[in-house]
Amino acid sequence: MTTFVESTVRFPYKRSLGSVIGYFMTALTDRRIVGIRNGDRVLVPPLEWDPATAEQLNPDFVDVGPAGTVRSWTWVAAPSGQHPLDHPFAFALIELDGASTTLLHAVDAGDISAMETGLRVAPRWRAQRVGHLTDIEAFVPGEEPVTPEDDAGPAAEPVTMMNYDASISYTTPVPETQLVFGKAFAEGRLVGLECPNCHRVYTGLQQACPVCAIPLNGTHEVELPQTGTLTTFTIITPVQYPGQTETEPFARVHVLTDDIDAVLAYQPVVDFPNADVHPGVRVKAVWTTDADGKQELAGWTPTGEPDVDDPSIVNRIF
Amino acid sequence: MEPVAIVGWALTPMVRRTDKSEARLLFDVVTGATEDAGITRADVDFSCAGSCDYVAGQAFSFVQNIDAVGAWPPKRDSHVEMDGAWALYEAWVRLQLGDLDVAIAMGSGRSSTADPATIYPMEMDPYYLAPLGADAVSLAALQARVLLDAGLVTERDMAGVAARTRADAVGNPYAQVSGEYDVDALLKEDYVRAPLRKHDLSPITDGAAAVIIARGDKARELSDNPVWITGFAHSAEPHQPGVRDLRASTSTARAAKAAGADGHFDVAELQAAFTHEEPLLTAALGLGPDVAVNPSGGPLAANPVMATGLVRVIEAARQIRDRGKQRTLAHATSGPCLQQNLVCVLEGTK
Repeated sequence: MTTFVESTVRFPYKRSLGSVIGYFMTALTDRRIVGIRNGDRVLVPPLEWDPATAEQLNPDFVDVGPAGTVRSWTWVAAPSGQHPLDHPFAFALIELDGASTTLLHAVDAGDISAMETGLRVAPRWRAQRVGHLTDIEAFVPGEEPVTPEDDAGPAAEPVTMMNYDASISYTTPVPETQLVFGKAFAEGRLVGLECPNCHRVYTGLQQACPVCAIPLNGTHEVELPQTGTLTTFTIITPVQYPGQTETEPFARVHVLTDDIDAVLAYQPVVDFPNADVHPGVRVKAVWTTDADGKQELAGWTPTGEPDVDDPSIVNRIF
Repeated sequence: MEPVAIVGWALTPMVRRTDKSEARLLFDVVTGATEDAGITRADVDFSCAGSCDYVAGQAFSFVQNIDAVGAWPPKRDSHVEMDGAWALYEAWVRLQLGDLDVAIAMGSGRSSTADPATIYPMEMDPYYLAPLGADAVSLAALQARVLLDAGLVTERDMAGVAARTRADAVGNPYAQVSGEYDVDALLKEDYVRAPLRKHDLSPITDGAAAVIIARGDKARELSDNPVWITGFAHSAEPHQPGVRDLRASTSTARAAKAAGADGHFDVAELQAAFTHEEPLLTAALGLGPDVAVNPSGGPLAANPVMATGLVRVIEAARQIRDRGKQRTLAHATSGPCLQQNLVCVLEGTK
């Protein structure tokens, strides 16, 4: 029976817009839609380069629309959280008046029967506009743009940045080899997987001996000692991205376990000041017990023994 | 041009959701392809894999995947964030340098990891397309309607493609969707994204594929019937669907010309992941009615994202090595509404 793990990854992007897309987004806050001249064509949305030749385009902007013609459409009967509207709508390629290309956007038409190629549509503006494609809430059938009565007006400064926050939920199988490690951890044990051919011991994500090409599983489990020697380390200065809980510089160390030829990589430390972390330090595992009585590896702490002065450990990064 | 031939391959079973990790899927196809070619991992000089971190749900997922190829003796390795067909292209280019003899190209995807509609916008233009949640099916539907409005295809034609490929897939042990379907019954189904119905879409598939290629004399040494790559090219169009003429696939036609694909083939395996893309690609490639298109069932029978294009190469090669055909074509695509297209011409040893 395979164990699956569910996780949600957020991608909170912050992007600079540049002079062309920035101009377009700034114009949106002023309830204007602009294109850029490309020879005798007007590209909407504007691009920085000629899509055929890759020549840089002059910043020759042209107001287009606000109304336009639907050149193609599809119906989204069950919108998801990533869509601009929370009720059924159309995605459409809209050729705004004065444009030579089409803009992808939502059309709030109420019902699929209202949609047809050639339909005339106009933008429905948000009251609060920030310089984002969704400042146009959607296009609606008709010739006249729709503006809320509480319109907040254009941005005071040119828009130079935009946020785009995506979120994806994953369901991923947990490899059997990871279950072996996890079960041992909960019991306060450290284990590795030993290749039956070359007898190398693996402690990471390997599901096969990459040297001998032999799949590994629970039958290859070997008990690891809980003492070892630090072979290398890094001090990480945390950047405050979403989900980062560290605030001060912290160490991650690699530990070469005693007697058994295995390195545990990127391990945390306990009661071990950053300034004292260096290769050769003798360390031992420190465990804590959670509310369910399961053991958790808190990290590694110095044993107080003298350093190992063996040049070979510098070759034991993995 | 250095003569390079396909000398072995392997596919995983194509399923809706596998309990195997991507690294393990690749391990199995590397073992299978090397055995098929009569070599060991030690004989592989260069490897290139195609996969996608957003599909895997893990940063640097391709680093783990390298274990499938093996670390010893040391070998040159590369990765493309593309379908494995582009990994094959890079491997083929690498062998053109003339100093290596054997390469392996792989493609892998566990599409079941997440809703593809949430993953797909991550590869879209982040300013104009991604913020709208523009998913692959919606974008394909916009192109389908352009073709319908232009009279280049009908909904009945599209259902006909679904029925024919599903019927063809009955004989393919790697097909996920197959069987006999009635076109009138298919046309009564509800739309998923009008004008696309469920049968117009590819299934969500987990799977992987690997191909071994070898240079000149080495290929002749390894195989009695090497499948020669006699043309190989790819070409892209602008990313924004709105600046393109969606009625045609100009980059497919351009790649075909560069690859020497003149329309005369016994079989063409096309990465038509939506029914309306098959007539569009057939026209761009100049394929006449005498060319058998997607006899394996194509992507509508199994669609292991990031391997689907490489599977087309394998199915086209299988037609030569195992079915006695002489000249076949494989096509792969990437990006919204057939943005980038790859064409590979394969020929048998006469």
